[in-house]
Amino acid sequence: MNGCEHRVEAIERWLDGELNGAEAESLRAHVAECAECGEARRRLEKIQQTLQGVLLADAQQIKFQPFWRAVQLRINEKQPWYHEALERLRDTFPASRAAWAVPAVIALLLAAVSLESYLPFWRSSGRNSFATVESIDAYGRNVALLREYDTKTTVIWLYQDQEGENDAAEETAPSGPAF
Amino acid sequence: MMLLKKPLLRVLLFSLLSLLGASAAGIAQKQPQNVQVRIGAILASNKNDEFDSRLKPLEKQLRVLKYRSYRLLKDESQDVPWQGNKVFEIPGGRSLMVAPQEFQDNRIGLKVRLTEGQKPLLDTTVRISNKGNFILGGPPQEGGVLVLSISATAQ
Repeated sequence: MNGCEHRVEAIERWLDGELNGAEAESLRAHVAECAECGEARRRLEKIQQTLQGVLLADAQQIKFQPFWRAVQLRINEKQPWYHEALERLRDTFPASRAAWAVPAVIALLLAAVSLESYLPFWRSSGRNSFATVESIDAYGRNVALLREYDTKTTVIWLYQDQEGENDAAEETAPSGPAF
Repeated sequence: MMLLKKPLLRVLLFSLLSLLGASAAGIAQKQPQNVQVRIGAILASNKNDEFDSRLKPLEKQLRVLKYRSYRLLKDESQDVPWQGNKVFEIPGGRSLMVAPQEFQDNRIGLKVRLTEGQKPLLDTTVRISNKGNFILGGPPQEGGVLVLSISATAQ
Protein backbone atom coordinates (compact mmCIF):
# COMPACT_ATOMS: atom_id res chain seq x y z
CA MET A 1 0.00 0.00 0.00
CA ASN A 2 1.25 3.47 -0.87
CA GLY A 3 -1.04 5.24 1.58
CA CYS A 4 -3.93 5.28 -0.92
CA GLU A 5 -6.39 3.28 1.21
CA HIS A 6 -8.36 6.42 1.89
CA ARG A 7 -8.81 6.94 -1.85
CA VAL A 8 -10.88 3.76 -2.33
CA GLU A 9 -14.04 5.48 -1.15
CA ALA A 10 -13.34 8.46 -3.42
CA ILE A 11 -12.89 6.06 -6.35
CA GLU A 12 -16.27 4.50 -5.55
CA ARG A 13 -17.90 7.90 -5.55
CA TRP A 14 -16.10 8.79 -8.77
CA LEU A 15 -17.40 5.67 -10.47
CA ASP A 16 -20.88 6.49 -9.21
CA GLY A 17 -20.54 9.99 -10.72
CA GLU A 18 -20.79 11.73 -7.37
CA LEU A 19 -17.62 13.84 -7.60
CA ASN A 20 -17.58 17.32 -9.10
CA GLY A 21 -15.51 18.17 -12.17
CA ALA A 22 -12.30 19.27 -10.46
CA GLU A 23 -12.32 16.38 -7.94
CA ALA A 24 -13.04 13.83 -10.68
CA GLU A 25 -10.24 15.22 -12.89
CA SER A 26 -7.72 15.21 -10.04
CA LEU A 27 -8.59 11.62 -9.08
CA ARG A 28 -8.57 10.46 -12.70
CA ALA A 29 -5.01 11.83 -13.09
CA HIS A 30 -3.90 10.12 -9.86
CA VAL A 31 -5.47 6.76 -10.80
CA ALA A 32 -3.76 6.88 -14.19
CA GLU A 33 -0.37 7.12 -12.47
CA CYS A 34 -0.93 5.04 -9.32
CA ALA A 35 -0.86 1.31 -9.82
CA GLU A 36 -2.60 0.55 -6.52
CA CYS A 37 -5.48 2.93 -7.23
CA GLY A 38 -5.68 1.70 -10.81
CA GLU A 39 -6.11 -1.79 -9.47
CA ALA A 40 -8.73 -0.63 -7.03
CA ARG A 41 -10.60 1.09 -9.85
CA ARG A 42 -10.58 -2.05 -11.97
CA ARG A 43 -11.77 -4.17 -9.07
CA LEU A 44 -14.61 -1.79 -8.24
CA GLU A 45 -15.65 -1.51 -11.89
CA LYS A 46 -15.80 -5.28 -12.12
CA ILE A 47 -17.97 -5.51 -9.01
CA GLN A 48 -20.22 -2.78 -10.33
CA GLN A 49 -20.62 -4.50 -13.68
CA THR A 50 -21.39 -7.83 -12.04
CA LEU A 51 -24.01 -6.30 -9.76
CA GLN A 52 -25.53 -4.35 -12.62
CA GLY A 53 -25.80 -7.50 -14.69
CA VAL A 54 -27.48 -9.46 -11.91
CA LEU A 55 -29.90 -6.64 -11.07
CA LEU A 56 -30.87 -6.07 -14.69
CA ALA A 57 -31.48 -9.77 -15.20
CA ASP A 58 -33.66 -9.93 -12.09
CA ALA A 59 -35.46 -6.71 -12.86
CA GLN A 60 -36.59 -8.05 -16.21
CA GLN A 61 -38.38 -10.85 -14.43
CA ILE A 62 -40.27 -8.52 -12.09
CA LYS A 63 -43.75 -7.55 -13.29
CA PHE A 64 -44.05 -3.86 -12.47
CA GLN A 65 -47.33 -3.40 -14.30
CA PRO A 66 -49.64 -4.62 -11.49
CA PHE A 67 -47.63 -2.64 -8.96
CA TRP A 68 -48.01 0.65 -10.84
CA ARG A 69 -51.66 -0.10 -11.50
CA ALA A 70 -52.24 -0.52 -7.77
CA VAL A 71 -50.40 2.72 -7.07
CA GLN A 72 -52.57 4.49 -9.65
CA LEU A 73 -55.70 3.04 -8.06
CA ARG A 74 -54.65 4.30 -4.62
CA ILE A 75 -54.01 7.76 -6.04
CA ASN A 76 -57.37 7.88 -7.77
CA GLU A 77 -59.23 6.38 -4.81
CA LYS A 78 -61.79 8.83 -3.39
CA GLN A 79 -61.13 9.56 0.30
CA PRO A 80 -64.09 9.53 2.70
CA TRP A 81 -65.35 12.98 3.76
CA TYR A 82 -63.92 12.74 7.27
CA HIS A 83 -60.45 11.79 6.08
CA GLU A 84 -59.45 15.34 5.26
CA ALA A 85 -60.94 16.65 8.52
CA LEU A 86 -59.00 14.04 10.47
CA GLU A 87 -55.82 14.96 8.68
CA ARG A 88 -56.34 18.63 9.50
CA LEU A 89 -57.13 17.80 13.10
CA ARG A 90 -54.00 15.70 13.31
CA ASP A 91 -51.95 18.58 11.94
CA THR A 92 -53.52 21.10 14.32
CA PHE A 93 -53.40 18.88 17.41
CA PRO A 94 -50.47 16.55 17.25
CA ALA A 95 -50.42 13.70 19.75
CA SER A 96 -48.12 15.53 22.15
CA ARG A 97 -50.50 18.52 22.31
CA ALA A 98 -53.54 16.28 22.79
CA ALA A 99 -51.74 14.53 25.65
CA TRP A 100 -51.54 17.85 27.51
CA ALA A 101 -55.13 18.68 26.66
CA VAL A 102 -56.46 15.77 28.76
CA PRO A 103 -55.10 16.96 32.14
CA ALA A 104 -55.90 20.53 31.15
CA VAL A 105 -59.56 19.60 30.68
CA ILE A 106 -59.52 17.70 34.01
CA ALA A 107 -58.00 20.73 35.74
CA LEU A 108 -60.62 23.03 34.19
CA LEU A 109 -63.46 20.77 35.29
CA LEU A 110 -62.08 20.60 38.83
CA ALA A 111 -61.68 24.37 38.86
CA ALA A 112 -65.28 24.82 37.74
CA VAL A 113 -66.48 22.51 40.50
CA SER A 114 -64.31 24.25 43.10
CA LEU A 115 -65.25 27.74 41.93
CA GLU A 116 -68.39 27.69 44.00
CA SER A 117 -66.36 27.24 47.17
CA TYR A 118 -64.10 30.19 46.57
CA LEU A 119 -66.31 32.81 44.91
CA PRO A 120 -69.20 33.89 47.12
CA PHE A 121 -71.06 35.78 44.39
CA TRP A 122 -70.99 32.70 42.17
CA ARG A 123 -73.21 30.85 44.57
CA SER A 124 -76.05 33.32 44.94
CA SER A 125 -77.67 32.24 41.70
CA GLY A 126 -76.22 28.77 41.88
CA ARG A 127 -77.88 25.43 41.84
CA ASN A 128 -79.68 23.90 44.77
CA SER A 129 -80.02 27.15 46.75
CA PHE A 130 -83.49 26.35 48.06
CA ALA A 131 -83.67 25.75 51.77
CA THR A 132 -84.96 22.29 52.59
CA VAL A 133 -87.22 21.85 55.58
CA GLU A 134 -86.42 18.50 57.16
CA SER A 135 -88.75 18.67 60.13
CA ILE A 136 -91.23 21.12 61.54
CA ASP A 137 -93.34 21.28 64.68
CA ALA A 138 -95.61 24.29 65.20
CA TYR A 139 -97.08 22.98 68.45
CA GLY A 140 -100.60 22.68 67.08
CA ARG A 141 -100.57 25.97 65.17
CA ASN A 142 -101.15 26.24 61.44
CA VAL A 143 -98.04 26.41 59.39
CA ALA A 144 -97.57 26.92 55.67
CA LEU A 145 -94.53 26.21 53.55
CA LEU A 146 -93.82 28.17 50.42
CA ARG A 147 -91.15 27.78 47.79
CA GLU A 148 -90.80 30.72 45.47
CA TYR A 149 -88.90 29.70 42.37
CA ASP A 150 -87.88 33.10 40.96
CA THR A 151 -85.92 34.07 44.06
CA LYS A 152 -85.37 30.49 45.28
CA THR A 153 -86.86 31.46 48.59
CA THR A 154 -88.26 29.07 51.16
CA VAL A 155 -90.81 30.58 53.54
CA ILE A 156 -92.15 29.02 56.73
CA TRP A 157 -95.29 30.88 57.71
CA LEU A 158 -97.07 30.56 61.06
CA TYR A 159 -100.65 31.67 61.12
CA GLN A 160 -103.72 31.29 63.20
CA ASP A 161 -107.36 30.76 62.39
CA GLN A 162 -109.78 33.59 63.11
CA GLU A 163 -110.48 32.00 66.48
CA GLY A 164 -106.83 31.26 67.19
CA GLU A 165 -104.91 32.24 70.20
CA ASN A 166 -103.46 35.43 68.68
CA ASP A 167 -106.80 37.08 67.91
CA ALA A 168 -105.74 40.00 70.06
CA ALA A 169 -103.51 41.19 67.26
CA GLU A 170 -104.61 44.25 65.38
CA GLU A 171 -106.78 43.53 62.42
CA THR A 172 -104.49 45.14 59.85
CA ALA A 173 -102.41 41.99 59.89
CA PRO A 174 -103.95 39.16 57.86
CA SER A 175 -104.56 36.04 59.86
CA GLY A 176 -103.63 33.61 57.11
CA PRO A 177 -100.63 33.60 54.87
CA ALA A 178 -100.64 36.61 52.60
CA PHE A 179 -99.06 34.88 49.61
CA MET B 1 -35.94 11.04 35.80
CA MET B 2 -35.74 9.29 32.45
CA LEU B 3 -39.34 8.15 32.96
CA LEU B 4 -40.51 11.74 33.21
CA LYS B 5 -39.32 12.36 29.70
CA LYS B 6 -42.17 10.20 28.43
CA PRO B 7 -45.21 12.42 27.72
CA LEU B 8 -47.74 9.85 28.88
CA LEU B 9 -46.10 9.51 32.29
CA ARG B 10 -45.88 13.28 32.64
CA VAL B 11 -49.58 13.56 31.82
CA LEU B 12 -50.51 10.86 34.34
CA LEU B 13 -48.40 12.48 37.02
CA PHE B 14 -49.92 15.89 36.35
CA SER B 15 -53.45 14.45 36.48
CA LEU B 16 -52.72 12.65 39.73
CA LEU B 17 -51.34 15.81 41.31
CA SER B 18 -54.39 17.78 40.14
CA LEU B 19 -56.73 15.25 41.71
CA LEU B 20 -54.76 15.21 44.95
CA GLY B 21 -54.82 19.00 45.07
CA ALA B 22 -58.55 19.12 44.45
CA SER B 23 -59.18 16.47 47.11
CA ALA B 24 -57.07 18.37 49.62
CA ALA B 25 -58.98 21.57 48.84
CA GLY B 26 -62.26 19.72 49.22
CA ILE B 27 -61.27 18.27 52.58
CA ALA B 28 -60.12 21.68 53.75
CA GLN B 29 -63.43 23.19 52.74
CA LYS B 30 -65.40 20.69 54.79
CA GLN B 31 -63.87 21.72 58.11
CA PRO B 32 -65.40 25.12 58.98
CA GLN B 33 -64.94 26.17 62.60
CA ASN B 34 -68.04 28.28 63.14
CA VAL B 35 -71.22 29.38 61.51
CA GLN B 36 -72.07 33.03 61.34
CA VAL B 37 -75.82 33.22 61.82
CA ARG B 38 -77.55 36.43 60.89
CA ILE B 39 -81.10 37.23 61.85
CA GLY B 40 -83.01 40.12 60.33
CA ALA B 41 -86.24 40.89 62.17
CA ILE B 42 -88.66 42.72 59.88
CA LEU B 43 -92.07 44.22 60.44
CA ALA B 44 -94.33 43.59 57.45
CA SER B 45 -97.64 45.41 57.35
CA ASN B 46 -100.19 47.09 55.11
CA LYS B 47 -100.18 50.42 56.94
CA ASN B 48 -98.32 52.31 54.26
CA ASP B 49 -96.03 51.76 51.26
CA GLU B 50 -92.75 52.34 53.06
CA PHE B 51 -89.88 50.03 52.19
CA ASP B 52 -86.83 50.20 54.44
CA SER B 53 -83.78 50.81 52.25
CA ARG B 54 -81.67 48.55 54.50
CA LEU B 55 -83.78 45.66 53.27
CA LYS B 56 -82.85 46.24 49.64
CA PRO B 57 -80.90 42.94 49.35
CA LEU B 58 -83.98 41.05 50.55
CA GLU B 59 -86.54 43.02 48.54
CA LYS B 60 -87.29 40.34 45.95
CA GLN B 61 -87.73 37.69 48.63
CA LEU B 62 -89.94 39.91 50.79
CA ARG B 63 -92.19 41.00 47.91
CA VAL B 64 -93.28 37.37 47.68
CA LEU B 65 -95.18 37.91 50.94
CA LYS B 66 -97.46 40.57 49.36
CA TYR B 67 -97.37 43.10 52.18
CA ARG B 68 -97.11 46.79 51.33
CA SER B 69 -94.67 47.93 53.96
CA TYR B 70 -91.44 46.41 55.27
CA ARG B 71 -89.33 47.84 58.06
CA LEU B 72 -86.17 46.39 59.62
CA LEU B 73 -86.61 46.16 63.39
CA LYS B 74 -83.38 44.40 64.28
CA ASP B 75 -80.36 42.96 62.55
CA GLU B 76 -78.03 40.75 64.54
CA SER B 77 -75.15 38.39 63.71
CA GLN B 78 -73.51 35.86 65.99
CA ASP B 79 -70.82 33.25 65.49
CA VAL B 80 -72.14 29.88 66.57
CA PRO B 81 -69.89 26.84 66.99
CA TRP B 82 -70.85 23.56 65.39
CA GLN B 83 -73.06 21.52 67.67
CA GLY B 84 -73.45 24.60 69.86
CA ASN B 85 -76.30 27.11 69.89
CA LYS B 86 -77.00 30.79 70.35
CA VAL B 87 -80.15 32.64 71.32
CA PHE B 88 -81.25 35.78 69.48
CA GLU B 89 -83.65 38.19 71.13
CA ILE B 90 -86.50 38.95 68.77
CA PRO B 91 -88.93 41.91 69.07
CA GLY B 92 -92.22 41.09 70.79
CA GLY B 93 -90.66 39.24 73.73
CA ARG B 94 -89.67 36.35 71.53
CA SER B 95 -86.41 34.53 71.16
CA LEU B 96 -84.86 32.40 68.49
CA MET B 97 -82.45 29.61 69.31
CA VAL B 98 -80.26 28.53 66.40
CA ALA B 99 -78.06 25.42 66.51
CA PRO B 100 -75.90 24.48 63.48
CA GLN B 101 -76.03 20.73 62.99
CA GLU B 102 -73.77 19.81 60.09
CA PHE B 103 -72.10 21.06 56.94
CA GLN B 104 -72.39 18.86 53.88
CA ASP B 105 -72.27 19.56 50.16
CA ASN B 106 -71.90 23.27 50.88
CA ARG B 107 -75.18 23.21 52.78
CA ILE B 108 -75.69 23.95 56.43
CA GLY B 109 -78.14 22.08 58.61
CA LEU B 110 -79.76 24.38 61.20
CA LYS B 111 -82.02 23.52 64.09
CA VAL B 112 -84.22 26.53 64.86
CA ARG B 113 -86.58 27.09 67.78
CA LEU B 114 -88.83 30.15 68.07
CA THR B 115 -90.30 30.84 71.47
CA GLU B 116 -92.53 33.53 72.93
CA GLY B 117 -91.73 33.89 76.59
CA GLN B 118 -91.56 30.31 77.78
CA LYS B 119 -93.99 29.11 75.14
CA PRO B 120 -92.52 27.35 72.08
CA LEU B 121 -93.99 28.53 68.80
CA LEU B 122 -92.00 26.53 66.31
CA ASP B 123 -89.32 23.87 66.11
CA THR B 124 -87.79 23.18 62.75
CA THR B 125 -84.71 21.71 61.13
CA VAL B 126 -83.74 23.37 57.88
CA ARG B 127 -80.90 22.77 55.46
CA ILE B 128 -79.81 25.90 53.62
CA SER B 129 -77.04 26.74 51.16
CA ASN B 130 -73.92 28.19 52.69
CA LYS B 131 -74.51 31.97 52.70
CA GLY B 132 -78.11 31.34 51.84
CA ASN B 133 -81.21 32.17 53.87
CA PHE B 134 -84.81 31.28 54.49
CA ILE B 135 -87.78 33.25 55.73
CA LEU B 136 -89.73 32.52 58.87
CA GLY B 137 -92.77 34.67 59.47
CA GLY B 138 -96.28 35.01 60.68
CA PRO B 139 -96.35 35.97 64.39
CA PRO B 140 -98.38 39.18 64.88
CA GLN B 141 -96.33 42.29 65.59
CA GLU B 142 -97.30 45.96 65.96
CA GLY B 143 -100.32 45.75 63.68
CA GLY B 144 -98.51 43.67 61.14
CA VAL B 145 -96.54 40.49 61.17
CA LEU B 146 -93.04 39.60 62.16
CA VAL B 147 -90.82 38.26 59.40
CA LEU B 148 -87.41 36.76 60.13
CA SER B 149 -84.69 36.30 57.57
CA ILE B 150 -82.35 33.61 58.86
CA SER B 151 -79.06 33.21 57.04
CA ALA B 152 -75.92 31.21 57.79
CA THR B 153 -72.33 31.33 56.58
CA ALA B 154 -69.77 28.62 57.34
CA GLN B 155 -66.45 30.06 58.52
